[in-house]
Order: sequence, then structure tokens, then C-alpha cells
Amino acid sequence: MVALSQHHRRYDFAGDLDKALNRVDFFRLFHGIALRYGFEHFCVLQVAAEMEASNFSSKLVLHDLPAGLAEAYDKQHRFSESDIYRSLRRSVIPTVWRARDQHIAGDDAEHHLLAQLGFDLAIVVPLQATSGARYAVVFLGGDGDIARQQHVELCYEANCVFDYFHRVVLSVRRGMGLTPRETEILRWISYGKTASEIALIVSVSEHTVNSHTATILKKLDVVNRTQMVAKAIREQIIL
Amino acid sequence: MTAPVNILLVDDDPAENVIMRALMRKVANVAIKLHYVETVEAALAFIRSADPQLDLILMDNRLQPQADFRETVPELRQNGYIGPIGVISSSITDAYFQSIDDYGVDFRIDKAELDPTAIGFIIQEFVGKDTRAAQ
Repeated sequence: MVALSQHHRRYDFAGDLDKALNRVDFFRLFHGIALRYGFEHFCVLQVAAEMEASNFSSKLVLHDLPAGLAEAYDKQHRFSESDIYRSLRRSVIPTVWRARDQHIAGDDAEHHLLAQLGFDLAIVVPLQATSGARYAVVFLGGDGDIARQQHVELCYEANCVFDYFHRVVLSVRRGMGLTPRETEILRWISYGKTASEIALIVSVSEHTVNSHTATILKKLDVVNRTQMVAKAIREQIIL
Repeated sequence: MTAPVNILLVDDDPAENVIMRALMRKVANVAIKLHYVETVEAALAFIRSADPQLDLILMDNRLQPQADFRETVPELRQNGYIGPIGVISSSITDAYFQSIDDYGVDFRIDKAELDPTAIGFIIQEFVGKDTRAAQ
């Protein structure tokens, strides 16, 4: 990962950011922010490049919403028509949504994401990754409002954590070199071993093997394990 | 009715079991069955009995007679356990916590950070079954 300079001011949270390794660590960081500012949940959303019909659950990149909430929402509502999603298309200024303001919004109640998810307050922080892709971090809670100072700090912290999250977890791209562990797993795949067999051999969980395999697929820009091995041999990553 | 999520807590302090049990009851929309043992040996015996099949192991970092997760988790792995393992500790700031990958650990979390939301998140990340409506 590219080291940041001191110009990227990260205050007292630089240490925690530098240590974050995986999705659980980024859950810890986002969840920690949510709790510090009085929120119950957070979600990191992908914002599509075009206006398109999209599900809430399919746009969630990382979140700690109760199990099944997003899926239940998708069964009844269209996320791309929600007020919060449409506001993300209009501006990148952070937004605050209060349940008590819903009546002044003017349009019909069927598009109020906040009410549909059952929360009283949402802070939406639109963000852009270094790749140019758009995302938003949303904090959801049950408390009336947020003060200016807190709002500004919350947005800044969310921006920093998201930047690390994108670079460490999301930005795996084709052409990036494989780590020694990934190369080792690729080699075992080429020997015909299954994920659970590789987990036993390498002494990690099957979950870890599967997530390494997904990363290798992305880095080699291939669609399945057969093409993965063929390309790895063609490019002499394994012999 | 969906099967409950089976979690094994390995911790030499029985008080942690009481705390964790209370925590698990507060996780929204997921039925959790928490099992508890005090040592790695007892954990291995539990795994070998294969009843029930475990979905996740939460390991206290320091367990006698081993030093920390660098000794305990490889022991579980070498005995054939390939499910997810999370290490819990009252502090995860020591430098060796940066090398969890090398020891077969899936994730680490501070005990103070383990709230119902965190448990819910971990289950959604690591337990591949549909847990909705499992009350």
C-alpha cells in the first residue's frame, strides 16, 4: 500500500488507520465512529455512475445493519427512487436527514429512506475513491440531530477511514502483484485442491482461502479457477 | 426455522462466558447458540465430537498453558479445524496482532468493541447461512 505523507492529516487516528488489515478492522473503525457520535449503525454504499434501478442490498459494500434489513427493504421499495439516493446524484455536499423534517420535503412519503429503514437520523457523507468511483458513508441512529462541529468532524473521520478501506480492501485491480500467500494458494489450486483441502494444508480457514481466491481472480482479471490457472501458467506466475 | 449459529467461546475466565452469553442474546434477527470451553484441549475435543458443527470460534488471546494466539490458533488449525477463528483480547495493540494472517486467524477484536452489532456483523461476514427470521 502506498504510504501517505504528513500532508494527509489524520490527527490522532493515524495509528489505527495504519494498522487496519481486513474488513473486520474497517467494521471496527466505522462502528467506532458511529458510536462516538451517537449513531447505531453505518453503511458504505457504492454510488452508480449512471442513474439506474438498483437494490439497496447490492450497493452495500460494508455495513453493520441488522441481518435481513436491507433485503426486507428491497422487497418493498426501490432504492434508486429514494430521497437519499437521489440527493447523492444531485450534490456531493454531506446531507443530514431527520425524521421530523420528512413532512417538509414536499414529495410523497413512499421515498423516504430514513423512515423506511426505521431510523430517526441519518448523516450521509458522499465520497470519491482515488479510482474516481463514487461512494457514500451513511450513519444511522435514533437521536434527533447533530451539531455543526460534530458533523464536520464526523465527515472528516469517515473520509479518512473510507480512504484506507478503499485502498486496503476495495481497490484490488488487475495487474497488481500477488502476495506470497496468494501465490501459494494459486499453486495448490493448480494441483486440483479444493478450498477446504487448501485450508487444511495452509492452516487457515476456508473463508480465508476463498477470499484470497477472489482477490487472485480480480488481480489476474479472470472469471474462474480454470482460467486463473491457465493464465498463471501462461504468464509464468507458477511453473 | 433456520438452524441457530453455533459459536464456541474458548476463554479461561468463566465470567467472560456469562458476559458473552448476555451479549449474544441481544443480537438482532439471529439465533445464536453459544458453547463454552476453557482450554484449547477442550476446544479440540468439542471439534472432534462434531456435534454440533461449529460456525465460528472466538478465542481469548491468552490461554494457559499456551502464551497467546500464535500458539493456540495453529494448534486448532493443525488438528483440522478450517472454520473461522476470531481472537478476542482486552488489548489488540501489541505489534504481533498485525500478523494474524500468518497464524490462521480470521479477525481480531477488542473485548470492549464486542457489542451485539459487532457480533451481528461478524456472523454476516463469516457464517454463510441465511440467518434471517431465525428467532
